[in-house]
Amino acid sequence: MTLSKDTRNLCKGLAFLSPWLLGFAVFTAAPLALAIYLSLCYFSLSRNGGNSAAIFRGLANYRELFHDALFWQVLRTSLLYSAMALPAGMLMSLAVAILLNSKVIGQSVFRTMVFLPSLVPSVASAVLWMWLFNQKLGLINNFLGHFGIAGPGWISDATWVLPAFALMSLWGIGNTIVIYLAGLQDVPRELYEAAELDGAGPLSRMWNVTLPMISPVIFFNLVMAIIGVLQVFDVPYVMTNGGPAHASYFFTSYLFDKAMKYQEFGYASAMAMVQFALVLLLTGIAFWTSRKWVHYR
Amino acid sequence: MPIVRYIAVSVLILAAAMVLVFGPRPAPALPPGRENDVIVQYWEKWTDPEASQMRQIVDDFNRSVGAEKHITVQYLSMTNIDQKTLVAISAGVPPDIAGMWDANIAQYGALGSLEPLDDLAAAAGITADYYKPVYWKGCHYDGHLYGLISTPAAVALHWNTRIFSANADVLRAHGCDPDQPPKTLADLDRYAQALETFSLGVDGKKHLERAGYLPMEPGWYVNLTPYWFGGDVWDPATKKFTFTDPRVIAALKWVQSYSDRLGQDAVAEFSSSTGGFNTPQNAFVTGQVVMEQQGPWMANILHSLKPEMDHDWAAAPFPAADPALKDVSFCGFDILSIPKGAKHKQEAFDFIAFVNTQAEMEKLCSLHSKNSPLAKVSPEFIKNHPNPYIGVFEELAASPNAHGPMDCPVATEVGGELMSCIQAISAETATVPERMAYMQDFATRSYQRFLDTQEAYRRAAAK
Repeated sequence: MTLSKDTRNLCKGLAFLSPWLLGFAVFTAAPLALAIYLSLCYFSLSRNGGNSAAIFRGLANYRELFHDALFWQVLRTSLLYSAMALPAGMLMSLAVAILLNSKVIGQSVFRTMVFLPSLVPSVASAVLWMWLFNQKLGLINNFLGHFGIAGPGWISDATWVLPAFALMSLWGIGNTIVIYLAGLQDVPRELYEAAELDGAGPLSRMWNVTLPMISPVIFFNLVMAIIGVLQVFDVPYVMTNGGPAHASYFFTSYLFDKAMKYQEFGYASAMAMVQFALVLLLTGIAFWTSRKWVHYR
Repeated sequence: MPIVRYIAVSVLILAAAMVLVFGPRPAPALPPGRENDVIVQYWEKWTDPEASQMRQIVDDFNRSVGAEKHITVQYLSMTNIDQKTLVAISAGVPPDIAGMWDANIAQYGALGSLEPLDDLAAAAGITADYYKPVYWKGCHYDGHLYGLISTPAAVALHWNTRIFSANADVLRAHGCDPDQPPKTLADLDRYAQALETFSLGVDGKKHLERAGYLPMEPGWYVNLTPYWFGGDVWDPATKKFTFTDPRVIAALKWVQSYSDRLGQDAVAEFSSSTGGFNTPQNAFVTGQVVMEQQGPWMANILHSLKPEMDHDWAAAPFPAADPALKDVSFCGFDILSIPKGAKHKQEAFDFIAFVNTQAEMEKLCSLHSKNSPLAKVSPEFIKNHPNPYIGVFEELAASPNAHGPMDCPVATEVGGELMSCIQAISAETATVPERMAYMQDFATRSYQRFLDTQEAYRRAAAK
């Protein structure tokens, strides 16, 4: 059998792609399809020794979900946290990246220092922050105490726990900063020189040159942040286990509990679909608005 | 390169990867003469030192009954055993024995994830009269035996006798006897108030330095407080939740009364200054909390964390709201169960039965500093036990007012939600009746969802 050159090239390409394609099919596409189906079923992994099939029940899981007060509470908690952590993370990482992009002595040392925290495993950093946030013995309240301020129960008070987690999320912005830095270094020097000749000051250069030029990078980081903040799980799981009084019980934590602790995989799958739809919706909004503020060269 | 070669190389690489991931593993080494033994895989939740203590029992078995019947138990200690067992069951490769918690009996039993042990127990001559009723009953769900006990417990009041003595005058001034524990909950409140100490903070507010008693410290059993008020959140006869029962409401109002009196902020701040249970910062070990609700293992914990405290504590039944309620306790336990799909059921049960022989059970319970689940207890067990108050725990476990785990398959979910409501009640962000009305609705819905699921599977099986 003789194949045309194009077909041979296609086969070669597919052969090289096959490890990824296979991985995507087995570990992403198939589980996603299965989760969609299970969200319409009764299903528990270990029922009858793992030998029971899922039983189709239509949209009943979704109907129950919308009557579940705890579902709405975890959704509200996740959105509230996102509303705090997402803008804080975006602004802080951009600000730090701009600072790190300036030519100062020890620039590489500062860059390393900023990136290092994101290399710390999340559980280890959670334990560290538990001590920092400790109401009576923690460094933060100890510091505030020097100014006569009695610090709050950062993670033991329902009012403060979400702001505390949002504050803590800034610890891991190293990756985002690196992406911003790459974007900043890609801005052509001549644009700044032209702006300077036109009499633009630092703020004007930032607003009219830097931000428009790195807007695709901002957009990329925004989409990744939307996906990330709505899936927060490990840190609250370790630090507060959802407490106090469910104040830090996030959507993904409830989903995990439903599946792994209470063995309601159908219900948990329905939750996963809602989460997926929510991420899709917010990402869609970001894409829709991007036409107005993202400038591609 | 011809396309066939690309495909052949890809297939070979894939095959090699498959062999690496799913291929054969070396067989576990067995001692000479035991190479043909049946290998029983035993997964246990304990970590050291309890894991090592259980290993002694495994070694006893492998040397005696195991050698005789050609069975070798291989023991693996791990965390999150319930979730790992669940995944292993669904994958069709469960361990032969899973050492889990009492709550797993109803939950896993209802799902059909555990092997019923009725026939195996009957064949081995293991019957109800061999155990204290509360434990035997707790091993059953829906009339079937789904596990046997590895170690049991009973919850009692522990108090720091040194602090009682040092504050004898203060206690007497509050009408409390420093040489005796409180007998009623009203007494407990009086003792607690007498022993509280405060300091003045930078903000000019009073800060709790030492608590006589705090329901949320460590708070492991706070969701079971209704037992000490003669109530319960679940009626096993009608299979209905009873969160709005006046005794349940009264119990949780009592829990809330501590935040009312001390101030929610002071309680929260105090709790943040205490360390984890098995650490030298344990509030009872440091003397920050004088009285605490705990199990018999406290003797081992105190001895390992602060040996000089060995003679500075005592245990007694936790006082009930109604003095007529004698020896009220919660008697939880650890289980040995056989997951559905286990390959060596009979051999696994041989080991479980061995652990439940009086000699081995008493050895393990002594090592873990726990009471015995068995109806008959040898005098040596009491005499040589590391916990000098083991008699108190034995009486509590044998009491008619001993309560076992909730006989309800959604107990884990309901219990978790109840703990969250109690946190809200303690933080005074919600009233008790309001939270209990919510719990009644939540638990009823959760149980109904379980019943609907069971019914759907029953219908599917009938088709």
